[in-house]
Amino acid sequence: MSATNPVAAGKPSGSIYDLGYRHYEGKRRGRLFAAWSLYVDSLRGIWGFGRPMSAKAAPFIIAGLYSFFAVIQLAFSSVISQSIKNGTATDIFTYGNYFSRLGFFLILFCVAQAPEVVCRDQRYQVLPLYFTRAMRRVDYALARLASLSTALFVALMVPMVALFVGDVLMGADAFAAMGTELPRALPAIPANLLTALSMASISLALSSYSPRRAYSAIGLLAYFLLMEAVPAIIYSVGQQAGWTWADKLVLTTPITSLGGATNWFFGIPLTSEFPSTLGADAYLVACVASVCLFTAVLLFRYRRISA
Amino acid sequence: MTGVSMSASVSVLPEIVRITFRQLLGRRRTLLLLLLAALPVLLAVIFRLAGEIDVHSYTRRVFDTVSMTIVLPLAAVLFGTGAFGAETDEGTILYLLAKPVPRWIIVAAKALAAAMLTVALTVASVFLAGVVELLPAGADGLSATEAQVGAMIVGSLCYVALFVPLSLFTRRALVIGIGYTLVWEGALSNLLPGIANLSIRQYALGAADAFFQLHTDPARLSPMTAFTLAAVLVVAAFALATWRLMRFELPGGTD
Amino acid sequence: MTVEMLPTPNVTPDAAPAIELVGAARWYGNVVAVNDVSFSLGAGVTGLLGPNGAGKTTLLHMLAGFLAPSAGTVQVLGRSPHRDPSLYRQIGLVPERESVYPFLTGFEYVRFNARLQGMKNADLAARAAIARVGLEDAADRAIGTYSKGMRQRAKVAGALVHDPQVLLLDEPFNGMDPRQRLAMMDLLGEMAVAGRTILFSSHILEEVERIGTEILVMVAGRLAASGDFRAIRALMTDRPHTITIHSSDNRKLATTLMAEPAVFAVALQERALSVQTAHLSAFRRIIATASRTAGVRLIEVVPADESLESVFDYLVRR
Repeated sequence: MSATNPVAAGKPSGSIYDLGYRHYEGKRRGRLFAAWSLYVDSLRGIWGFGRPMSAKAAPFIIAGLYSFFAVIQLAFSSVISQSIKNGTATDIFTYGNYFSRLGFFLILFCVAQAPEVVCRDQRYQVLPLYFTRAMRRVDYALARLASLSTALFVALMVPMVALFVGDVLMGADAFAAMGTELPRALPAIPANLLTALSMASISLALSSYSPRRAYSAIGLLAYFLLMEAVPAIIYSVGQQAGWTWADKLVLTTPITSLGGATNWFFGIPLTSEFPSTLGADAYLVACVASVCLFTAVLLFRYRRISA
Repeated sequence: MTGVSMSASVSVLPEIVRITFRQLLGRRRTLLLLLLAALPVLLAVIFRLAGEIDVHSYTRRVFDTVSMTIVLPLAAVLFGTGAFGAETDEGTILYLLAKPVPRWIIVAAKALAAAMLTVALTVASVFLAGVVELLPAGADGLSATEAQVGAMIVGSLCYVALFVPLSLFTRRALVIGIGYTLVWEGALSNLLPGIANLSIRQYALGAADAFFQLHTDPARLSPMTAFTLAAVLVVAAFALATWRLMRFELPGGTD
Repeated sequence: MTVEMLPTPNVTPDAAPAIELVGAARWYGNVVAVNDVSFSLGAGVTGLLGPNGAGKTTLLHMLAGFLAPSAGTVQVLGRSPHRDPSLYRQIGLVPERESVYPFLTGFEYVRFNARLQGMKNADLAARAAIARVGLEDAADRAIGTYSKGMRQRAKVAGALVHDPQVLLLDEPFNGMDPRQRLAMMDLLGEMAVAGRTILFSSHILEEVERIGTEILVMVAGRLAASGDFRAIRALMTDRPHTITIHSSDNRKLATTLMAEPAVFAVALQERALSVQTAHLSAFRRIIATASRTAGVRLIEVVPADESLESVFDYLVRR
């Protein structure tokens, strides 16, 4: 190789050399494929696939802890069935009450992973790379939302499956037990779907407002904790003070409302901590409304974000 | 060449403290934290409006569930992991370390800044809420407020002491810190009483007992135990952080 | 409580080289970032050259005490900088990637550095350092508003505010426009004349030529060459030199030159003649006579690859 001095080599002119640059003449898949790809990539990222081992720690440990109790119940199903016969079993987990009892693990899951989903792109300012291609802003937001919802749905359903297996094994005849158990378990699917959508939409909508993971995480956690605690406090004070409007406040709690909506799916009445003036259907409506609201916030955020 | 001082330069520690303050108090962040801290005060106002002036009821509902469980840990996690957060995130820690400053001073300054901010925020929050709600309740109310302030101070110091070294050891200090407060102190403590010895929440509540029996979920530690364990934690955390900083090495990788 | 600053190490001039590496190596698992590097530097400016991934930053971090060598010794001012914070009194470091506290003004940042160095007159020192890098106008603006070149200058100001004996800079000219680069080079040159030891890394070659002739070349973790770059160039006698000639009749000159034993290839280009020779000195002797013999007038004779670039390319491909 010799270093040629371009000025000395000849008259100042320019030309573009054909280095065999290949044009792409093949099929170009459109928006849907782009959105689907982002969805899959995002879902994998939430569980840490395609990332170093340390990225798998948080989601798997947290989701594992959430499922842990169902697995324990499964393992001890024979002992538990004894206690049920004796009438001493009180605190077993069922499909309906599982999330209400252990939902805080999923709060942790969302706080850990939702910032990972939406903050990186903002932090490193790569959003233009997405938006200048087939994908629209709406697609981006919805794909991210779908991925976190799917991840949460999976995390929610694992213990359901464990409970199902446990309940089936408790009976004498496994196949007959499955027949009776399945209808009892089925409402878990739509209930958990709603739960997943609700938590995902809240988490992403709030997390997307800051490019820094730490602030998003804290803000999200603050939202979950405060919106659980404060309405309940005001409601309990209001009860004694005779404020009837305070009943409605419980509708604004994210996790408790989901518990109420789950009760609706299973057709069981609300527990005593809920105000008596509202039925489970009110919570169903509240949760669906919250999904719509926060999805709208998320879409709005990504429409307005500068990229 | 301007003079280079050889000996005692006390101004180094406050210098780092000051810069950490500026790092930790961004405009948006400060605003949100103030809102967070104002919440217990608002709730206290609501309590008054409802005509509710029972010390124990208020304590159980507001102090316990909001101040102790939410405001304190969140503020401490934010300030505690944020003390070294910017440095470890962006690598600006090189600037601090490439100075002839003893490592323990760096740690002390950072932790001090975080602790001061956390204490200021939480104590103000609890005190104001107490003024609204508890003081009218008489001598009991006064002691209760003192106890709550004490709990906030001990809690702030301990949480910050925990989170500052944590942020030096792992990049996921925030999640781990949140997991600690949610899972370890929240759920597990209810299941396994022995955990009280390792729970900052219990240190804080135990310390508060020195002033007044707040009767929040039975503080299982006596004030003496609580103070001792808290002190041990702070000293151990400080030593750990200093050790870590002394052994600091840049992560590997190509150019 | 008095806070004792770490004592300044005794530095006797002319005692030992300011920077000395003997067999220094650093590996991470299977990746060897720095491989058996030895050199010593005294006062003056030295450029550390190498392509990306060559180990320059790793080497600088070892010199700055942030990495312990996996093997060999690294000594700055006679001591190992690793875990010896008191040595930082004598070292200034300008890292490449790390950004600076954006909320501080340039002046505040430099003064912060001065104070941490334990300087009594931090304000004065900061002002002086700011003036040296030419940031007076912007000194009272937040660093977050600076351009990249200004940020670099602020970092350099912060690194030299305490007038260190040794200055380590990692790609310091990044983001600077030519005028700023020249000013920075002049500054480094001044410091070198004053007896400081300056080591800077770069992969932009034009500046290194300008600022100093001492270079260290790193390729894939190894020290491929050190010393004066022209001397290095001359050492590579087994590589053909290429000379570009403009003359009144290139073709005729080409024919004549082909007859010369010193020349082993000629190439006719659009308006120039490219000659390859293995013996530069011999060629220099014969070019004048050859052109006279051919009756051709020489317009321009350019050794086309005297630049560091070709040195570099050659070393990389070796």
